[in-house]
This record gives sequence, C-alpha cells and structure tokens, in this order.
Amino acid sequence: MSYRLLGWVLVSAASVVLFTAMPGNGQTSPATTSRIPRMPDGKPNFTGLWQTLGTAHWDIRDHSTQPGPFSQLGATGAMPAGQGIVEGGEIPYTPAAAAKQKENLQNRMTLDPEIKCYMPGIPRANYMPFPFQIVQSQRDIAFVYEYATSNRVVNMGKSREAAVDTWMGTSNGRWEGDTLVVDVSGLNGNSWFDRSGNFQSDNTHVVERFTLGDADHINYEASIEDKTIYTRPWKISTVMYRRKEKNAQLNEFKCVEFVEELIYGHLKKK
Amino acid sequence: MRHRLAVSTARMVVLAAMCALAAESASAQAAKAAPGTENWTPPKTPWGDPDLQGTWTSDDCIGTPLNRPANLGDKLYYTERELAQRESELAKQQQNDLQEVVAPDQRVSTGPPSHWVERARRPCRQTSLVVDPPNGRTPDLLPEAQTRRIPEGANNNNPKADSWEDFSYYIRCISRGVTGSIFPVIYGNGQQIMQAPGYVTILQEMVHEARVIPVDGRPHASPSIRSYMGDPRGHWEKNTLVVETTNFLGNKTGIGLNGGGTPTSDALKLIERYTRTGSSGLQYEVTIDDPKTFTRPFKVAFPLTQEPGYQNFEYACHEGNYAMSNSLSGARAQEKAAAEAAKKK
Repeated sequence: MSYRLLGWVLVSAASVVLFTAMPGNGQTSPATTSRIPRMPDGKPNFTGLWQTLGTAHWDIRDHSTQPGPFSQLGATGAMPAGQGIVEGGEIPYTPAAAAKQKENLQNRMTLDPEIKCYMPGIPRANYMPFPFQIVQSQRDIAFVYEYATSNRVVNMGKSREAAVDTWMGTSNGRWEGDTLVVDVSGLNGNSWFDRSGNFQSDNTHVVERFTLGDADHINYEASIEDKTIYTRPWKISTVMYRRKEKNAQLNEFKCVEFVEELIYGHLKKK
Repeated sequence: MRHRLAVSTARMVVLAAMCALAAESASAQAAKAAPGTENWTPPKTPWGDPDLQGTWTSDDCIGTPLNRPANLGDKLYYTERELAQRESELAKQQQNDLQEVVAPDQRVSTGPPSHWVERARRPCRQTSLVVDPPNGRTPDLLPEAQTRRIPEGANNNNPKADSWEDFSYYIRCISRGVTGSIFPVIYGNGQQIMQAPGYVTILQEMVHEARVIPVDGRPHASPSIRSYMGDPRGHWEKNTLVVETTNFLGNKTGIGLNGGGTPTSDALKLIERYTRTGSSGLQYEVTIDDPKTFTRPFKVAFPLTQEPGYQNFEYACHEGNYAMSNSLSGARAQEKAAAEAAKKK
C-alpha cells in the first residue's frame, strides 16, 4: 500500500468519525445533534437528494379534490385534496391582489410559468413534485432542482446585493445555530407559488429557514413579505424528505420540448 | 466511550496528516516538471478531496478553432513571436470595444454590440482545441454516421423557420450537450465548480445547465435512462477529477461549439479530466469516444482560468427566447407578403 493510498484510507476513516461525532454548538438538544450529518467544521451538512411530499404544488392553501382541466387524463389529471403549507391557512392578499389571484387561477393554462417550463422561482422550486440536490461546500451551498434544471447558489460569504432581478433570485445565507437562514431578494416577480395562481411580485422578499430535524428530514420555513400585494408578512412551512432509495439520483427534466407547441404553435408554417 | 473515541480520532487525524504530508511532498516533486507550478500546492477541501472550486472560464481560447487549419500540420502551439503578435491584436480589439461602447452615432447592426461578447484576456497558446490526433482535427465520420438521418435543426445556423424544430437544440434553449457547454464561445463560458463530500457540481451559465457528479463510487444509472447531458460519475486520480459520462440520448447535439456538428450517437462516452495547474488555472481535457460516429476516439483540451470579478449570472434562455417567436413570426410575415405580391401579378 502506498503512502498516498494509506493516507487516503486514514483520512476517509477519520472523516467518517468526524462527520458523525463532531459536537454541535449547543443550540439543539444532544439527542438531535448526534444524529444529523455534519461538515468537518461542525456545521450541519445538507448535502443530498431531497423532495417535499404533499400537494402544495397544486395549491399552497388547504384544498379539496378537484377534477383536472382535461377529461382525457382521467383520474391521473385530477388535483388531490391536501393540507396547505400556509401558516394560519390564508394568504393575506390586498383586495386587488386577491382579485388577480382569481384571474390567474382562471387563466392558469396560459399564465402559469410551470406550464411553460419557466424557472419556478423561490420558494416554489422547493416543493414541486421533483427531487432536488443540495451540494454543500465549505463555503457556499448549491441547490440543483430537477424541474427545468433550475438552480441557485446560496452565497455564505459577505452578503451581496442582487445585481439584477432574476427568476431564482439572489440568495444570501447565514447560520443561526444549526439553522441555515437564506435571504432571497431580487426576485423578478414572474413566479407563482403553485398551480392555483397564488403569486408574488418583484417586491417580494423571502427568508427561508432550513433545519435538519434528523439525518433524513429538513424542517423548512419561509417568511414572505411584500407590502404591495400582502397586508402583512406571512409564512409557509413544510418538510423535505431525504430520498433514500439506493439508486436515487437527480435526473434530467428538460421540459422546453414539451411546451414549444403550446408557446409557438400559432407561428408554425401551416 | 465517547472520550476514547475522541482520543483515537485525534490520533488518526495526526497520522493521516503525516501521511498526507509525505504524499504531498512526493506529488510536489512530480509537479516540478510542469512549468509555473513549482511553488504551488493544490488545495484540498476540509474533507480531503482536491479543491477545484471557483468559477472558471474558457474565455482565453475564444476564437481558437476546434479543428486546426490543415496548413499548420502537427503544430499544436504558437511560437512566442506569434503569441506576441496575437497579444497586440487582443489589445487593439480591447480599444475597439471601448470605442464602440462610447462612440455616438455608431452604426447599429442586428448582431449583439461588441461589449456583449466576452474576450480572451491573454492569447490562447493552441492552434486548435483538438489536441489528439496530432493533426488537431476531428477524426473522420464512420459511413453509418454519414448516412444517419439527422434532425432538421441540428447544427442548423440558417434555418428555414417553418417550425421550432428547424432550429438547433441550443437556439431552442434545450441543451448544448456536455462538450458544447464548456467549449469556448462568444459569451457565457462560466463553469462554477462546487464540491461537497461525495459530490462535485458544475453550474454552467449558458442554458443554466447543472451537472451533479457523484464521486462516491456508485455505478452508472440504468442504460434505460437517457438524457442530453448524460449520466456522469467522477473519481479522483491524484489531484485530477476524472468524470466518465454515458447514457446520452443519440442524435441530439454534436462535438462542436455550442453543441453543433454531426450529432453523436447513444454510444457516446466522454472521459473528462479537470486538473488545477495553479491558483487561477485549471486544465480541461476530454476524450470523446463514439464508436458509432467517429473512426477513432479523439481528445480536446484547453486551459480554464479564474478571473477577478468573473461570475455566472442567471441565463434564463427559454424564458427570454424572443428570438424564436420573432424568427417564426418573421418567416410567416415574409410568406404572407410574398403570397400577396404573387396575387397582384
């Protein structure tokens, strides 16, 4: 065995011990602390493949079962009932914004950015019915979402102002104990929260909180603030589950090909 | 129990550090052969992998052709004199770019203004991106590849615009493939590499591709799962990240700039090698093996650099693809005008 190989084996062995035995910083209970994966510096390690369960991608509010828009899809196109993820149940829209949400819902087949394979924005990307991969370095943290290969990098260094408004926004992160807090600004206002027309504007400011409940669950919260369309700040909360299948991995869902007829069909040569 | 575990962990760390030091000095000696790396030790992540992280760009080889002009024969590198000449051309170009931005009453054209495009900061030493075979040219196509029915839009820069399918997968904002996403083009050459224990991810500005590369020894996904960007698996060879990518969809993108060229087959296998050469340099090399398309495997290589202030931006390609609707509606308008003109005759 060469020195190099021996070195690797020992480093790997030491890493395994370090990752599992690194003490926490006292912010969470010892029982929880010992069970969550950690980086060599002791910070929680969110690296892995995650997915949110439930029906929030249909409607982030409490909702009943409803038929789908196309009878051809039968039972597969229907919208299942589900508990919402909005704390307190209601989104505090201003009257004008409430009217716009209803209009969005009525015209969702042409207006919903998801139907057009557009980037989902934040927080919607986090609870779509697709997995996403977190790659956490010793500095910044990458989120790669399977849907439309949308992605973002959470900057953990000195906070940076959004250079331009974007679909996925500008993410600045910081640690509050074992909680990863991500401040999302510079959203371009084109994103929705779900398939039911709940929407944001280019003034919307999102602050997300990611906390490992144990090795395989992230408790996720996001507070949403926008004086132009909501009468007060409001909050969503849900759970992200680690994908545990032994062959689970991020796949490619490039959806542009599925929407070109829809978007450009009227411009095709007859 | 907990106490003893901590003590033994500390001993292992010290031992591992000693071994790592011994290994480092060995590799430092080996690295002496390469110019410009004498006093530079490749950094490691806190978990012990070589640290390739940063935003890298292939800008310096913008304009270097994939295939070497035949008259240059086997000459891969320019001479120092030729490089000096190219350097002064770059400086002149920089002046022109400034002029174009500030000059009033500048004639406008339909192409992007020159300040949109990225420029090489120093001349590329190579005469071609292909480095093997020695003549620097893509190997011949197999007969079966020459007769393969390729999609209408593949490699089509002058589409008839009957449908979106007449345009390349790049123009449609779908993909440029793996090699097309790193070969240097006019802008958007950023490659942001991020690492975690067990993973490397490469975020590419153009078409916002994101390659998640497991480096934990797991096998490839089932060959039944096919994609534009393939299924990558990485491992470390000393300080080099080696990525093997398979499971490609056939007949989509080619091994040209922006994924142009004859589309490769579903048998394509890429072996990429990423090696840091200094604090701001990384050598990229890819071996392209497609036994259904090319007569032999070949190799493309070029340097990537980290530049102060260079970063990726969100490239919402499909979301802002006005070129597609404008091209299609323009073509329909021309047809309508032509039909009306014909009626008048």
